Amino acid sequence: MIRGGRSYVKSPPSFSNDAKKLLVCTGNNVSVFSAATGLQITSLEGHTAPVTTLIVVPASSAAQKILCYCWTASLDGTIRHWDFSGPELLKTVDAQVPIYSMVIPCLLSEPQQLDSSKLVAYVSVEDTSLVKEGSKELRGHIRRFNLAKERLPRGDTLKETEEPKSIVISPSGEFFGIHHKCKIHVWGVPSGGGSRNALAKKMTLHHTKVINAFAFHPTERIIAAGDVTGRVLIWRSFGNRKLALASQKKNARSMVDLDNPGVRDGDDAESCTTWHWHSAEVNVLNFSSDGAYLYSGGREGVLVVWQLDTGKKKFLPRIGSPLLYFIWSPEPTLSSVVCADNQIHLLKMPSMEISRTISGIKPPPSLPKMYEGLSSTVAFDRSSGIAALCTENYCVQLYNLLNDRGISEVQVCERNHQPGDEITVVVTAVALSLDGSVMSTTEVKLPEDGIGGLVSLKFWESEPDNKTFTLSTIVYEPHKDAGVSAIAFHPTRSMAVSTSFGGDFKIWVCNSDKSQTEKDSSWICHAVGSYKKKPMTAAAFSGDGTVLAVAAENVITLWNPVKNMLLSVLGATLTPITKLCFVGKSEFLVAASNFPKPELSVWNTSKLSLSWSYGLRIEAVTSAVDSSTFAVLALVPKTFRKSKSKKNIFRGRDGAILLFNGSDPKPVSIWTVMKAQGGSISFLEGDKSQLRLAFVNGSHEYVVFDPSSDDTHERSAIDYEGLVGEEETGDFGYTSLYGQLPDYDKKRKEDAESLATPFISSERPWETIFSGSTLNFPPLQKLCGEFFESLMEKSNSVVE
Amino acid sequence: MNLVNIKDVLTSFSPALDYLALSTGDGRIKIWDTVKGQVQTEFADIASSEETNIYTNGGKGHLSVDYTCMKWLSLERKKKRKLGTSILVLGTGGGDVLALDVASGQLKWRISDCHPGGVNAVSSSAKASCIYSGGADGMVCEIDPNSGNLIRKFKASTKAVSSLSVSPDGKILATASAQLRTFKCSDLKKIQKFTGHPGGVRCVAFTEDGKYILSSAVGERYIAVWKTDGAKKQSASCVLALENPPVFVDSWGETDAKGLYVIAISEVGVCYFWYGSNVEELGNAKPTKVSLATEDSSLKQHKGSLPIIFAAKLQGVLKPGSANAFIASGLLVKPSFQKMVLQFGNDLVLNASKSGILLPITQSVSKSKKGQGVQNKVTTLDRAHAEDALLPIARVADLLENRSVQPQPSDKDTDMIDQSQADYVETFSMEDKLRSLGILKGTDEPNNLSSASVMDGIDLEAFLPPKKLKSAVLSMEPSTAFKTLEALVAMWQTRGRGGKYLLPWIYSIMVNHRHYIMSQEPKNQQLLTTLHKITKNRGTALQQLLQLSGRLQLVTAQINKAAGNETQSRVLEQEIDESEDEEEEEVEEHFYGENDNESELSSDDGNDEDDEIQ
Repeated sequence: MIRGGRSYVKSPPSFSNDAKKLLVCTGNNVSVFSAATGLQITSLEGHTAPVTTLIVVPASSAAQKILCYCWTASLDGTIRHWDFSGPELLKTVDAQVPIYSMVIPCLLSEPQQLDSSKLVAYVSVEDTSLVKEGSKELRGHIRRFNLAKERLPRGDTLKETEEPKSIVISPSGEFFGIHHKCKIHVWGVPSGGGSRNALAKKMTLHHTKVINAFAFHPTERIIAAGDVTGRVLIWRSFGNRKLALASQKKNARSMVDLDNPGVRDGDDAESCTTWHWHSAEVNVLNFSSDGAYLYSGGREGVLVVWQLDTGKKKFLPRIGSPLLYFIWSPEPTLSSVVCADNQIHLLKMPSMEISRTISGIKPPPSLPKMYEGLSSTVAFDRSSGIAALCTENYCVQLYNLLNDRGISEVQVCERNHQPGDEITVVVTAVALSLDGSVMSTTEVKLPEDGIGGLVSLKFWESEPDNKTFTLSTIVYEPHKDAGVSAIAFHPTRSMAVSTSFGGDFKIWVCNSDKSQTEKDSSWICHAVGSYKKKPMTAAAFSGDGTVLAVAAENVITLWNPVKNMLLSVLGATLTPITKLCFVGKSEFLVAASNFPKPELSVWNTSKLSLSWSYGLRIEAVTSAVDSSTFAVLALVPKTFRKSKSKKNIFRGRDGAILLFNGSDPKPVSIWTVMKAQGGSISFLEGDKSQLRLAFVNGSHEYVVFDPSSDDTHERSAIDYEGLVGEEETGDFGYTSLYGQLPDYDKKRKEDAESLATPFISSERPWETIFSGSTLNFPPLQKLCGEFFESLMEKSNSVVE
Repeated sequence: MNLVNIKDVLTSFSPALDYLALSTGDGRIKIWDTVKGQVQTEFADIASSEETNIYTNGGKGHLSVDYTCMKWLSLERKKKRKLGTSILVLGTGGGDVLALDVASGQLKWRISDCHPGGVNAVSSSAKASCIYSGGADGMVCEIDPNSGNLIRKFKASTKAVSSLSVSPDGKILATASAQLRTFKCSDLKKIQKFTGHPGGVRCVAFTEDGKYILSSAVGERYIAVWKTDGAKKQSASCVLALENPPVFVDSWGETDAKGLYVIAISEVGVCYFWYGSNVEELGNAKPTKVSLATEDSSLKQHKGSLPIIFAAKLQGVLKPGSANAFIASGLLVKPSFQKMVLQFGNDLVLNASKSGILLPITQSVSKSKKGQGVQNKVTTLDRAHAEDALLPIARVADLLENRSVQPQPSDKDTDMIDQSQADYVETFSMEDKLRSLGILKGTDEPNNLSSASVMDGIDLEAFLPPKKLKSAVLSMEPSTAFKTLEALVAMWQTRGRGGKYLLPWIYSIMVNHRHYIMSQEPKNQQLLTTLHKITKNRGTALQQLLQLSGRLQLVTAQINKAAGNETQSRVLEQEIDESEDEEEEEVEEHFYGENDNESELSSDDGNDEDDEIQ
């Protein structure tokens, strides 16, 4: 089982004291990378939920630099203490509530007299006792914990917010704070450590815009804050009054009427200055370790260095992705900037050169609403285990799932190098041929005020030398103005089909099969087909490539792709089909439709009839090439998940992978998964002739596992019976299958309900006769005879 | 053509084959990411950077180190930790053995002056329980890979140990100077002695089951295979010959069950591959070569190093005789990595990529316009042409057929063939149609059928330029070509017309596939005899026909003269119109971009209109 594709950028990384290692939160683990080579050295494993905070215990003297201790906090409600050179878990503290952020001030302020019994942490937690959907309870709490104890009591609550906030601490360990809408709340850490009564004092700074990020100056009382409009505000000498010692408080209060330039509402600061360079929101703010410079960055992907005294700027442009964090290392020549595209750049410092990059799988693009769910943005090369994933900036990233490493990127269309521009082009689909030599993409240029929209279809040939793809053919407006709904490749020949909402599909062939060299190949249209002008929504080739199935809204049409001949029409589903897939080399065809009534149906193409169906919402379908197994990724409805008996089964997972064998409607095995929305599955057939199933979820994390091995089974098929049973009886059941013949239905329904399983395979030759094209109509005598015959047969079989 | 000396190149794949360590003799080690094809990191000056800090660094000490051997091994995993550390063990010419922790980029341990005079070889078993090193002093050291402690040291030979290897199970150690010796690892007792190599052995490798040792000495153009479980002194079991001395040997598979696969790389960067189910078969096997194409003119002009294959590793067996191999090839400055299937008996020629070479200026200019170059190759279909399909009208399958034959998957193939026959019948002459309906009886039906099914892709009615025709014939499989020939002969025989179109095909097939036809002739004797008969029959009539046509021409010319010039001018006009039509058609085709090559071919044959349009 291979897990991978984790995000490196969910929470800020941290350098070790000798600056040779970089600790990165990767899902439930902390990965330790070498700053010199960029390779992973080791990982800290133990948390059962994503790690949110990582604090390396700083060294107070040069001799301690080799010490490798760190604290981690996680959503699983535990705080752990590690020695990451080992790696070894030293201590676990159970806080019982999900921790979103944590700071330990005394590690910074008094590292010499580090006494574990006096360690006090300030944490940002979510109070799960108040969780109710949509309620306006203040769930985010800032609390104070004493880490000396194994099991924490509730702790003192300093502040309540709607959502858990991340805590920022000053490098000196004197202050910490959170930003909340247009305000910054700052607390002063009481000196003297852990006496219970010494509660932190609080002050607030106000601004007119929502604040995105802020930072403390390492030595002076300066706060820098960035807001959504791109301004950087600098408050100097904050908290002279409120955070001062109690004895001085009275004197300080008399100074309120002093004129403090730029400071709002009588905030406790001497002056406030504003710098404006960023055009979009500021996400990154950090002072240099000596306090002379301020680093800022945001959506433009430019790191700006401000000289604090003069306001002079230096830039590191063209990072190419919105910045998330900037951290400096104990070594003055090394720092790191973290980008939203799952890359961590290590910078050589005074010159700000990117010396090394640690990169992971890129996150999926944010699609406009209308394209959500329609696009298939992940394609798999089954033999080599490579996935082609659509990412931001109109790129397709080729990612080796077996090695968990990116291979290359293909720029599908031109882009502006400044990230964060408005999206004007959407890559709606990507498909790979079975041997991985051809890739096809479609993109839609969004119209501006209704004009200028353009759909184009592109074919790419692989270049084994550079492990990338080069453009071979562009087709502008392949289906006139209509968008492309699906692309499918022929399993053996160089042939592809694209279907459109405009009511036709086109078969494309590569015109240089053998005689010419690969580079001169181009694709041309081989055939056009349509069926009653219905929108074509999905397409699939059969395992041997002799039959092409195209879904015309709710009927399935079978074609001979070479001759462009309609072979037959399969009966109707209730709702438009979105996915089609032949089951290996068998005669079964899986169709999935989502809206408005989800349905998964399996058709027998030899009998032209429906075998069975479920009322499941299907996100992806895949089938093995050789065997007759197929797998579907189903979204489990919220109502069902929340029901009490199932809550412990799902535990926040919103999807399930069901593995079926051929025509058997009972799934062989089931796995529940997280973030199934927008996910994709595929079988991988490596050289070791073992069948593996790859699942890529909505945020491009993935898992590759062997579906036949028992240890990965989380739940058996028995549990599943209840799941489907409940689902079926409510809405769908038999009306969906037998809606056209009410008398017959009733009878069947009764019979069926007496059976344990609510689905029964059926042969309905008469129904496909009705739903076929008018040309197909057989003479009346024949029709009636067949119709009654089918009735008779059915009744008999049920009686038996 | 200068030969590349890859004797000095040290390569070592990581155990998971996702990295390749490469040292070209300048004291630097580059770690290549084989998945991305990029440099992951580079180690230079490890020895001196150990103690100094980053401020005083920057010396060029790496040139003083020369690595002589390299081996990448992964240490045993402690407990269940996921990431076992992998270390790169290096021997230097100065006699040091050092281990690099690749992931963290730090020196793990170092044994100074382990082998005075230089380390020549390092090796370890698959489990990496201990490392063995051999050097110029004839000693073999056993080293603990975790700590770098010297466990044992013994004298293996009076001469320098030039190479050594540990069997995969870790029980037998083979050392080599000129003479090959095997030792039991447990008590270091000598087991066997193999003599025969004239000089120092350069590479030694065990087979996977440890039953055979492969070895090759400097300057030898063969690999000797020795049996390990035989008599104390033995001569080689078999010898695998190649064209240049090998520098690297690897093997996969067992002698009994799976068959034995041996891969070797020679000094000139060519990869050789042998397969045999047992040693005798292996010895008789002719090697399969994998080489890089070097015909490229730009590469030949290039004075520097040529692209070569410099590292290979067998990964597994697909079926007997074919194995998966991972090959690093190209230039040492920019290798490319490929996973490929080696089919025994099929020589492979890989395309050498030109990336990484400093090209002469003229070429680099064209290279700098890479963006445009790519654009030129891209075919663009706009809205109008996207609609021009080859089969524009979809058809419904014949109803009668459909009802009688349900399109079951098993039946589909036959169904399709029926349809395809039906299609072709339509395009044939009325005579064929009648014949197929059984109204006209003449020659046997099967011929007709085969003609229909075989003729796929050949448009007999169209006139093709000879070159194109030849290429089409050449692209045919010999068997299909033969079938086509049969069909053509039958057609010629029955039809009596169309010889103008048929004969070039028959002629071309006879010329290009004569070997196969000759081999088939004993079985189907009647084919050539029929052909001969027909040609003879027609040939006898030819003289009379020519006379007749000459007479007819004369008569018509006289009639025309008598009728005046009116008709002539009309004919001319018509011709002009026709030629214009042709031009238009060709313009359209060009817009597709599909016929570029065709036009190039056809332009040779005097089709000058094409060029004018361009």
